[in-house]
Amino acid sequence: MKKLLLSTTAIALSAIFAASADAEDTTVTYRSWSPVIQTLQKMVQSTEAAIPGIKIDVKTFNYPEYLVDLQTRANAGEMPDIVGLEPGALTQQYREYLAPAQDCAASVWGDDWQSKFYPLAIEQARLGNPSGDENFYGLPVLTQTINLWYTVPVMEDLGLAPPTTYDELKALAEAARAAGYAPMMIGAGDGWIRRDVYMQLIHNVAPGLIYKAEAGEVPWTDERFVEAMQIWKNMFDDGIFQDGALGLSHYPGAVEVIESGRAATFPMGAWWQQQAAVDNPTPLSKNLSGYAAFKFPDVTGQGAPDDLLGGIDVMIGISKDADYDAACKVLTDWIGGAGAQTLINTFNDLPAFVGLRPEKFGSDNQEAVWDMFTKEWLPTVKYARQLASPEVKQALEDALAAVAAGDKTPEEGMAMVQQAYDSSKG
Amino acid sequence: MRFPAHTGTQGLTFLLPALVLFAIFVLYPAFYIFYAGLFEWDGINQGVFVGLGNFHQIFTDDGPFWIAMRNALYWAPLTIVIQMVLGFLIAFLLEIRTRMVPVFRALFYLPAIVSPVVIGIVWQRIYNPFGGLLSDIGIATGLRFLTFSFLANTQTAIFAVIVVNIWQWMGFSMLMYIAGMKGISREVLEAARLDGITTRQTAVHVVWPMLRHVHLTLVLLGVIGTLQTFPLIYIMTKGGPNHATEMLPNYIFQQGFILQNMGYASALSVVLLVLSLGLSVFQVKVLGARFSFGGPA
Repeated sequence: MKKLLLSTTAIALSAIFAASADAEDTTVTYRSWSPVIQTLQKMVQSTEAAIPGIKIDVKTFNYPEYLVDLQTRANAGEMPDIVGLEPGALTQQYREYLAPAQDCAASVWGDDWQSKFYPLAIEQARLGNPSGDENFYGLPVLTQTINLWYTVPVMEDLGLAPPTTYDELKALAEAARAAGYAPMMIGAGDGWIRRDVYMQLIHNVAPGLIYKAEAGEVPWTDERFVEAMQIWKNMFDDGIFQDGALGLSHYPGAVEVIESGRAATFPMGAWWQQQAAVDNPTPLSKNLSGYAAFKFPDVTGQGAPDDLLGGIDVMIGISKDADYDAACKVLTDWIGGAGAQTLINTFNDLPAFVGLRPEKFGSDNQEAVWDMFTKEWLPTVKYARQLASPEVKQALEDALAAVAAGDKTPEEGMAMVQQAYDSSKG
Repeated sequence: MRFPAHTGTQGLTFLLPALVLFAIFVLYPAFYIFYAGLFEWDGINQGVFVGLGNFHQIFTDDGPFWIAMRNALYWAPLTIVIQMVLGFLIAFLLEIRTRMVPVFRALFYLPAIVSPVVIGIVWQRIYNPFGGLLSDIGIATGLRFLTFSFLANTQTAIFAVIVVNIWQWMGFSMLMYIAGMKGISREVLEAARLDGITTRQTAVHVVWPMLRHVHLTLVLLGVIGTLQTFPLIYIMTKGGPNHATEMLPNYIFQQGFILQNMGYASALSVVLLVLSLGLSVFQVKVLGARFSFGGPA
């Protein structure tokens, strides 16, 4: 009986201590579309180990489903403590629900905290803020560039170097098709990849023009937009994209073909490096041995710009209802602490925080690619990959599909965008 | 017939839980989306009252909406009629056959229980002219039309998706017809056989007319299914290219959550609701209510 009493007391006491220990823990909830859940779980482990008393509850969705989840939670008054954001429209939509994050950043990194980030990340973080509002409603976590990649063994098989002009693209298309490869593999059924390619085309034709059009300084029907649209159409007509591109999704449709080694080149971005970090990488992706990045060719013949398009991949905001200190600890750890190092070790994308670098590279090629992105390409980025207005973005994606399908001329396509722009301005 | 007053009160008491649930989960959302449809609203922040402006825009200045309407007009008759005919044929052949029937029945029904997401991904691959199954068959057999970019062409994309939908749900029609055929008296079929009519005549002139209740059920479910079509389009084409495969639920999702026009999406939802109600009432009034789950056949 005495033994029973003692053991019961011991169990009760340990339960009480356990409960009190749990009670001291603060749980921080995170919802987003990025990073992928496998990476997030590793980050959670690192951060929980680094910051005693913090528990992190994470869940990720595909981007469209995340928007549904976030909107539902905001309406129900149940915003997650920290949320994944894109700069511009998404952040502005939820601005009223978010606490300014600059105080958090200053408390951890000091008053010159902005110098810890790549300049483009700081510039884009406040995209769309009302005039006079200098708050940061989110802090950048990952950045990226958009560019092209080629499959090394395929290009070796074709005996070609990565194309640098439109004529070389056409020569590649001919050679690749003859050998049974996709010259440039694209899942143009997805609007975002159509837009990514067009952004690089218009950046070649007239750098910076598209942002002037967003500001209303230049019409969307300007002949330079039409020229870029015509080049987009030519890429279909000249067989540079594979057949049936408009009927295929980029993920997972085109990616499967790329990973099977049947694509010579493909449009993607810095995030393609993450293929090397998945649990069972393909032979091409293992240590990134089969891929190399290159800049979009000069499609105008007048010289391609040196800078790439890019910017913030994902930033994170703190909910007004959150325990600010606890949320701040997690957020800053994921930007520049143990969690961030874990994130960067997975090559998920490029860091927003200067100086972070994967602790281990699988090959010299992988390290060289990383250094090229972070030391040569990322610092050159001047212009954003994204457009500010969802309506204009959608109209451009629709116009690109319509022109590619032959339903509209390039002039008519750009008129569609102008119409959407006019409507969005009321 | 008259009921005593206390019987009515008792009846209402029994109905109350269902009425409350109906009011919360059906009436309130229906009124709410109508109310939200009167605003220019992003779903999060304060909306701006625009009256019937959203509805006016839908009917006068919204190309994708009318493409979605056109596609519904393609989708409903094509899927319903072809699914019914194929489902009936398979069911009839399985009923007059004696061996391996359960295996074939299961095989034909299998697509109906597979996730539309999986089906969408697989069929997008099958249609892919670069290394897709159809294309490979076309190259191997010389049937070059199979290498066509069905999903990439704005004229053919909607029909390519309709084919997949028919393939997916044909087994469901088959199952409904098999259930209906089980209810046909053996004496009737025996009498037909004694009268010397052929198998084809039995199918067309005896069995088909006796399955009217199944036909009506499939038509009703087909129309409802058409108006609810979402996952197959979302996975296979996202409504593209250039809205060529747009259906109303996909368009509502795009407006509400991708473009953050929740007020406009609500107005579209009201149109969809009115359309659904109108078509359902029309079917019940015109075709009658003798569904296989309703009144006697």
